[in-house]
Amino acid sequence: MGKLTIGCFSSLVGSMTLDWAVKLSGAAIEKGHKVDLWVSGNATMLSIQDQRAFKDYSSLEKPLKELMAKGLNVTACEACAEARGYNKDNTMEGFKRFSMDWYLASTFNADRVLHIGGE
Amino acid sequence: MATTKLGFIIQRPGYKSENQKLALTHAIASQSVEIYLDDDDEVICDVAFTGDGVLNCIKDQKALENYDLSSTESHIKMGLLCDLNILVCKEDLEKFGLSKSDIVIDAEEFGADVEVKVVPFEEINKMMDDVNHLLFF
Amino acid sequence: MKLVTFVSDYKINVDTLDRLKPEKLGIVLVENGVYHATTKENGNPSSLLNHSADYYVLLNDLETRGLTADDVIDSKVKVIGFGDIVDLIFNDYDKTAWL
Repeated sequence: MGKLTIGCFSSLVGSMTLDWAVKLSGAAIEKGHKVDLWVSGNATMLSIQDQRAFKDYSSLEKPLKELMAKGLNVTACEACAEARGYNKDNTMEGFKRFSMDWYLASTFNADRVLHIGGE
Repeated sequence: MATTKLGFIIQRPGYKSENQKLALTHAIASQSVEIYLDDDDEVICDVAFTGDGVLNCIKDQKALENYDLSSTESHIKMGLLCDLNILVCKEDLEKFGLSKSDIVIDAEEFGADVEVKVVPFEEINKMMDDVNHLLFF
Repeated sequence: MKLVTFVSDYKINVDTLDRLKPEKLGIVLVENGVYHATTKENGNPSSLLNHSADYYVLLNDLETRGLTADDVIDSKVKVIGFGDIVDLIFNDYDKTAWL
């Protein structure tokens, strides 16, 4: 089994690309792969806890927590989060926050990297 | 000692989106990645501007004066200071009527030793072949 | 290199795909990219389908948009799921690109 590092820069609300990235993460975990998910830029919105789930807006806290319980490693860019007022106190439990070098370090031993950054 | 090489390909103009600037800040983060790695292991980042992305390289950007924000130009210079290999597609510059004299080439004022390289797309293709992983912006 | 690219838009504003020269190319149509597999404009299929590549389209993203596997107009485009994408990434290609 391999390691997949996914980087995503798309907003949680206003795009479905993060939904897509989380679905792919789940499919990879189901197949026994290890997955690191890095969110940066607007994608750091994913890290906020207790977002109200409406059916009109993407809401990923539930599937994310289920995947984290299965080993998904999720980390937000700390500077990108802080710039948006997302601080440690309103970060979802289990969601890590590090500087950008964490993402590069994750790619170091990744078998594959899927970077979703084009916008 | 092991090395992982990443290729950052910037294909779009910046400012309306922050992703192009984030490409540079992530690449610059290769300078501190060793805190997560074993001794002598490293991550090396090459950056290439292609397509409309070459417009990011036009010099004399005044983002700081107009919006109080650091410019993409300053991030390119920081990249040079960190010895990143920064490539700009020659054919795409020419498509816009731009030449080497219109874009950021060096960061002498910061003491950078390396310069931006204007190269044919063929060389950028070679770089993409050479790296372990690609990150498109 | 063996490159699998993900196309997530119908109108693409970069020409990178036309310029890449991988020894093996896979194109996976996802999100709004699925319309390349299903839509003709003025009677013509998408020019994105003209590459020398293996083509795939994600069923989940077809169905989300009111489309089915029967709407895929070119038989060279294989309809797949997320699990298949994982297998493509790990088994068939060594690099990925989200364009």
